Amino acid sequence: MKKFLFALFLIIAAGFYIQVFSAVGCDLNDPDRDVKRFFPQSTSYKTDYFSISKLGGDELLKEVEKRLDDKFQGLYETIDVPYTLYTIFKDKEIIGYIHGINQKGLYGGLQVFLVYDIKGTVKNFYYQKLTSKAAKEFRSENFSKQFMEITLNDFKNYSPKTAQGGSSKVLSIKNPNTDDNVDFQATLRAVKKNLILTDIFVFSKKIK
Amino acid sequence: MTVFQIAYKNLFRRKVHTCFTILGITLSTWVLVTLLGFNKGYENSLNNDINGMGFQIVLTAKGCPYEAATLMLKGGTGLRYMPEDIVKNVSSAKQVEQTTSMLMHAEFDPNKGENGGTTVFMGIDPSTYPLMKPYLQFKQGGWFSNWSENEIVLGFEAAELEQREVGDLMLIAGSDKEYKVVGVLSRTGTQDDGMIFLPLKTVQKIFDKEGFLTMLGIRLNKDANANAFEEELYKLPDVQVVSMAQVKNTIMSLVSSAKAIVFSIAFIAFLIAMFGILNTVLMSVFERYQEIGILKSMGALPKDVFEMILIETSLLCSIGSIIGIIFSITFSKISEFIIRYFLPFAPSGNLIDIDLKIVIVSFAAITLIGITGGIYPALKGAKIRPLDAIRSEN
Repeated sequence: MKKFLFALFLIIAAGFYIQVFSAVGCDLNDPDRDVKRFFPQSTSYKTDYFSISKLGGDELLKEVEKRLDDKFQGLYETIDVPYTLYTIFKDKEIIGYIHGINQKGLYGGLQVFLVYDIKGTVKNFYYQKLTSKAAKEFRSENFSKQFMEITLNDFKNYSPKTAQGGSSKVLSIKNPNTDDNVDFQATLRAVKKNLILTDIFVFSKKIK
Repeated sequence: MTVFQIAYKNLFRRKVHTCFTILGITLSTWVLVTLLGFNKGYENSLNNDINGMGFQIVLTAKGCPYEAATLMLKGGTGLRYMPEDIVKNVSSAKQVEQTTSMLMHAEFDPNKGENGGTTVFMGIDPSTYPLMKPYLQFKQGGWFSNWSENEIVLGFEAAELEQREVGDLMLIAGSDKEYKVVGVLSRTGTQDDGMIFLPLKTVQKIFDKEGFLTMLGIRLNKDANANAFEEELYKLPDVQVVSMAQVKNTIMSLVSSAKAIVFSIAFIAFLIAMFGILNTVLMSVFERYQEIGILKSMGALPKDVFEMILIETSLLCSIGSIIGIIFSITFSKISEFIIRYFLPFAPSGNLIDIDLKIVIVSFAAITLIGITGGIYPALKGAKIRPLDAIRSEN
């Protein structure tokens, strides 16, 4: 009887799965193309969905906010936002991860993606979505390459609230357009949040 | 021991046989209930979408009617424009209760996505549009302060994607000005959720379409003769009249061919289930040839054997049907997700609407068909002669 009830629960849970994730997530527009672009040697990838509410609830939210040194804000940065993590494989071996998050910018939502190696070092940075008068500068290679080889440790002491702190690598990241400081700071907050969440979803489980 | 108890126990003697037969009936019922639910849900959702538009007739610039239907229901591109003067001609007609002017514009935004993308803007008249769509509620803020301000109202999903709240600023491709978000709509489950609304005059000015509209929504007086008024509208030059009844019929005719194919598949599933039952029960009769002979030699009448086999069949069909109905209700969201993926146009709302009537009809249909399939083996069993059966080798 217990087995039957458990099976019934699984079936019902599967039926309502689509309804549960109602908040907007951050998926790659074209995963097949994007994964190949960042990992030309990859042979496959796996998609996993996480949410703070499911992984640890309010306690985890508090931990993330503490590490971020900022509160989750507004209507859309909520505990139930689904996060999509792409795990990249070469045959059966994991060769990296891709993870993106939404961040409120000055004129619209930013979608900031980071490409990681298996140790959690950032190997690529890009905006999938960005609305800014300085969009060209923010999307430039000169700006994105400043995030190469960044790790969570570099951002550990960076505070999005004061826009200060961080390692010498973080301090050396230059705003490509000084007229738009809001999107620059939003980007740094997004990168730190991305690093923290990826650490929770992947690296803290494996490496510690 | 009653005949029912013997029949019930027989099902557990050949568990694999029983399971596969029930599985076949379950699948047939699942398909049937889902199809009937889809048949009802699709039409209801389409009606809701059309009623939710708030107007019975839409005038658009001349063009393809399918394009016009897509434009209204899903936000098409490749837009055509008609002169704004048309409003005066139409509004003055005595049959018209209210009109609302709309200008839809699709603009390429080089900063949308990595390779750019198209954003659709809807210019509306703030004095008439909200009256036509009273179901639109605000999560935050409200409508524009007037119809030429640089203000934006966002549908729920558009606001979520853009991470905008009331008071935030936005940029619009094609304009170097900043626009203020004054309202965020609650989720409606319609195409309005993804829409970016601006005052009509603002859209006309930004995209250099002053004096033009893409659509004019018309709501008629209750006692107006809609067909006669449509005939009047056909006389207007270079405009196309699209009544909601036409839109519905066009879409329903497109979907009906798909439905016919799916119902054919359901019919085949029906036949497979029936012959599956016939085969399983017939096999069990042959396997139990000697046993039935012994039963008869102990006093069982042909009627008892017939009854026993038919009860077995009825139990198989009932259990299979009930499981199939449970599956179809439980997995209706997944079925809907799959149907939406394959359908070229699916209205908002529940595409699969399973009610008590559908459940009862499906249960009765599958059970009756199954029992029909069991009659032949039951007759065969009832005719077995006890001595022949006992003498036989198997």
